[in-house]
Amino acid sequence: MMLAHPDIDQSVGTRGEESPLRPWQTVVWNDPVNLLSYVAHVFREYFGFERSHAERLMLAVHHEGHAIVAEGAREQMELHAQAMHDYGLWATIRQAPQ
Amino acid sequence: MSARRTVVLELTRMEAAHLAGLVTQFAELLEDADSAGGDPAIARLVPDAYAGDAAAAREFREHTERDLLGRRRLDAGIVLSTLSAAALPEDVAADDAVLMELVELALDPETVQAWLRCLAAIRLVLATRLEIRSEDDHDVEDPRFGIYEWLGYRLDGIVQAASED
Repeated sequence: MMLAHPDIDQSVGTRGEESPLRPWQTVVWNDPVNLLSYVAHVFREYFGFERSHAERLMLAVHHEGHAIVAEGAREQMELHAQAMHDYGLWATIRQAPQ
Repeated sequence: MSARRTVVLELTRMEAAHLAGLVTQFAELLEDADSAGGDPAIARLVPDAYAGDAAAAREFREHTERDLLGRRRLDAGIVLSTLSAAALPEDVAADDAVLMELVELALDPETVQAWLRCLAAIRLVLATRLEIRSEDDHDVEDPRFGIYEWLGYRLDGIVQAASED
């Protein structure tokens, strides 16, 4: 059994309805372990966001369960997701929902 | 980009010894783990990147898990190397005053990032072992929760020191 998981919505992020017109997204999910201060720090450190932007995204992750931290080409989103995993954050890649 | 600065961490030799023990255990766990197979704590360090698409998630993991687990080992080595400056003399008695001696450890900006990633990763492993599912999960009878919270306290302190404007 997998434990200490974030609240991933299994209904999103499938490749089933792939369309070249919709961008890909890197999504960071809430989890009960990573500290809010650490999540904001990672957003600043890796993406170079301003403190206010990083904190807004962190709060979105915390209160809404997830936040889109980047959008663009799939390969780029995979690099971002790997970078988030490198910090211990839970990130997924998906095509932007319709 | 947040300010890249040196952080000075002040802790007792006893605390440093406890921390070194934990990081050593973490490194031993990683030693045997070439992949996420079987251990949910290792799996948490290399999570699914595609929800609802097992094939894409597997392919992504095959490409990334060696690097991700390698990074965890490197970070653990860096933290242990920093902590060696606060090592205890051999055969120290349990009531020896040296245990409470404060030591200052200066972490350069790269070392700060290794410490943050390492403490965060150990917390993820502990949380998996403790079956923490919400921020309110806590068992005062279980000393591992105390360790989990102590690591969070230290992690938060380093984050605050590293991200002051």
